[in-house]
Amino acid sequence: MRKTVGYRMMGWLWLLLGVFGATRVLAEGAPPLNIVAANYPLAYFAERLGGQQVKVSFPVPAGEDPAYWQPDARTIAAMQKADLIALNGADFEKWISRVTLPQSKRIDTSAAFKSRYIVVKDAVTHSHGPEGMHSHAGTASTTWLDFRQAIQQAEVLAQAIIRNRTGLKSVVETNLVGLIADLHALDGDMRQFATQLGGKPLLASHPVYQYLARGYGLNLESVHWEPEEMPPPEEWKTLRDKLKSRPARLMLWEAEPGSAIRQQLTALRIQPVLFQTCTNRPPSGDFMDAMRGNVRSLIAATRPPSAMDK
Amino acid sequence: MHHDIYLAWRYLYHHRVRSLILVICLSLMGAMPLGVHEVMNQGKRAMLDRALQTPLIAGRVGSGVDLTLNALYFNNPNAPRTTMAEVDRIESTGWALTLPIYSRYSAQGFPLVGVTLDYLDYRRLAVTQGEMMTTLGECVLGADVAAALGLGPGATLMTTPGNLFDLAGMYPLKLHVTGVLGKQNSPDDGAIFVDLKTAWIIEGLGHGHEAPAKSVVKDPTKSGNTRMMDAGLVTYTEITPVNLETFHFHGDPATYPISAVIAVPNDHRAEILLRGRYLNYEKDAQLVAPLSICENLLDNIFRIRELFDGVLGLVGLSTLLALSLVFSLSLRMRRGEMRTLFLLGSSRFTMFRLVIAESLMLALSSLCLGSLMIWMARHWLSGVMLRWVLA
Repeated sequence: MRKTVGYRMMGWLWLLLGVFGATRVLAEGAPPLNIVAANYPLAYFAERLGGQQVKVSFPVPAGEDPAYWQPDARTIAAMQKADLIALNGADFEKWISRVTLPQSKRIDTSAAFKSRYIVVKDAVTHSHGPEGMHSHAGTASTTWLDFRQAIQQAEVLAQAIIRNRTGLKSVVETNLVGLIADLHALDGDMRQFATQLGGKPLLASHPVYQYLARGYGLNLESVHWEPEEMPPPEEWKTLRDKLKSRPARLMLWEAEPGSAIRQQLTALRIQPVLFQTCTNRPPSGDFMDAMRGNVRSLIAATRPPSAMDK
Repeated sequence: MHHDIYLAWRYLYHHRVRSLILVICLSLMGAMPLGVHEVMNQGKRAMLDRALQTPLIAGRVGSGVDLTLNALYFNNPNAPRTTMAEVDRIESTGWALTLPIYSRYSAQGFPLVGVTLDYLDYRRLAVTQGEMMTTLGECVLGADVAAALGLGPGATLMTTPGNLFDLAGMYPLKLHVTGVLGKQNSPDDGAIFVDLKTAWIIEGLGHGHEAPAKSVVKDPTKSGNTRMMDAGLVTYTEITPVNLETFHFHGDPATYPISAVIAVPNDHRAEILLRGRYLNYEKDAQLVAPLSICENLLDNIFRIRELFDGVLGLVGLSTLLALSLVFSLSLRMRRGEMRTLFLLGSSRFTMFRLVIAESLMLALSSLCLGSLMIWMARHWLSGVMLRWVLA
């Protein structure tokens, strides 16, 4: 009798161990959440939030501007199979109205502040890079350059991941805290820079810093210059005329300007400052490295020269 | 016993025409009421299955039956339309998955249904030939449409203009078939699916532009570069990879038309909340449960079954009486035959067994033929019944 009870208990134990083991195998064997991101900041946020539990695809080729990129049929088919399609919104994905994607998988990360989108008027049509002629008319789309908006976008993405895979709730929530802390730090640094600048005028080489300017109260005006193309003489004349009324000493660039441009700017006592928008993956480092570098460059450029510098 | 069966079989075979008539009469008498019931039940089941898989439908206030039939069977293109604002309204609650449907147009006699890919996922419609549509101007065919038109991936088909007498109306759009959906034995098999945005292009809400340099036409009566007509605004009749990027939409997307929105609530509580919201606040819209709409509709339609049952009962009774008469007359005619058997030494019980064996063989044959008739009705007439109900 005692022997039978012992065998039964052993049986129950093995059954429990089996169920426990099977549950673990199922949990570990669950495929990672497949996320497609429409720009690099969202890809970075998704990678930070999900860690190893998500597989993030960013289909835009290196060197191409995601805001003017057009996905091909194969890329669209891959997007259709994804679990989540992270979109920036604010008219960033101009291709979205021409492709067929499942509505329920699309996450517009900026929809929460839709009423605060910046509408660009009287934009100039120009060309650079492989995407050909384009204009910046419509809605300004680099929303993440206001880091408080970036926090909102990260939160929306985190909620979408959790909704899609409830098992990732604790991981995503923990990672979100870290990401928000980093973005808050950037926001604080930008505020410090804005205070340091004290409303002095700034220039930008391209009209892509609208949210940065609004978010931190920067007195910023843009031209339509490319880092690798020397602007024509009339553009320089216009700039000189502009400087009379707006004596700007800093010019923000998405990429390092050519040495000839740099020389002419220095002659006008304008310091070029690299401020990457990170719409595409930066050549080195990640989003946070690039943004920290951006803010550091700005703060360094406005710091009063020390005795040693003199 | 097998002698009885042999003799009965020989007798029935000898009088085969009479036996066949008796078998047909008996089988029809049994199969008719059962077959009619079966066909009606099949039609009802098919309708209710579709309704069961569709929890709620939202649309413009009006006839709930029209709204339901349009959303489930795409058979009423002129039903009142609602707008994408309805989708936004439901989505903003976060209580349900929304599946907008726009089924106003047709192509080569089949309904052209504008949907999002979520609809195809929800109805478990997977592409079995070719690929899923990826851009504007592409379509996937239901299995029956592909079979009827003999089309497959790579083929093209033209949409049917909304109104033949509207000369300034919409251009037909040349659709590119990218795939064929697997057969589901549902109304989806008889539809052509396009992206909602493609349906809006057919509607004229979106268009592409030709290159301005080619499209400017000068007015010869005026000097200089007067721009008289800009053909750049001509609506395309085919969307190709070359002109795809020029396509865009005008106006507020919330105002774009749709026929209905299927709402799939997250849970029972969400369903109650959603229904409550429509009852209390939404005056220009309605939210209906397709199951109750279809049940009411079928209850009304299938009242005719009671009439059928009555008529068939009377016909069956008269047939039975006629058959009894035929049987008793036949026994009377066989009196000489019975007497011969008696003189040969057969008992009365043997003769009784012979008659029973003949009757059983007739009944069994009738049962087989009747079952075959019911099977045929079930397989070939249930679709007819569904079409009759929806017509």
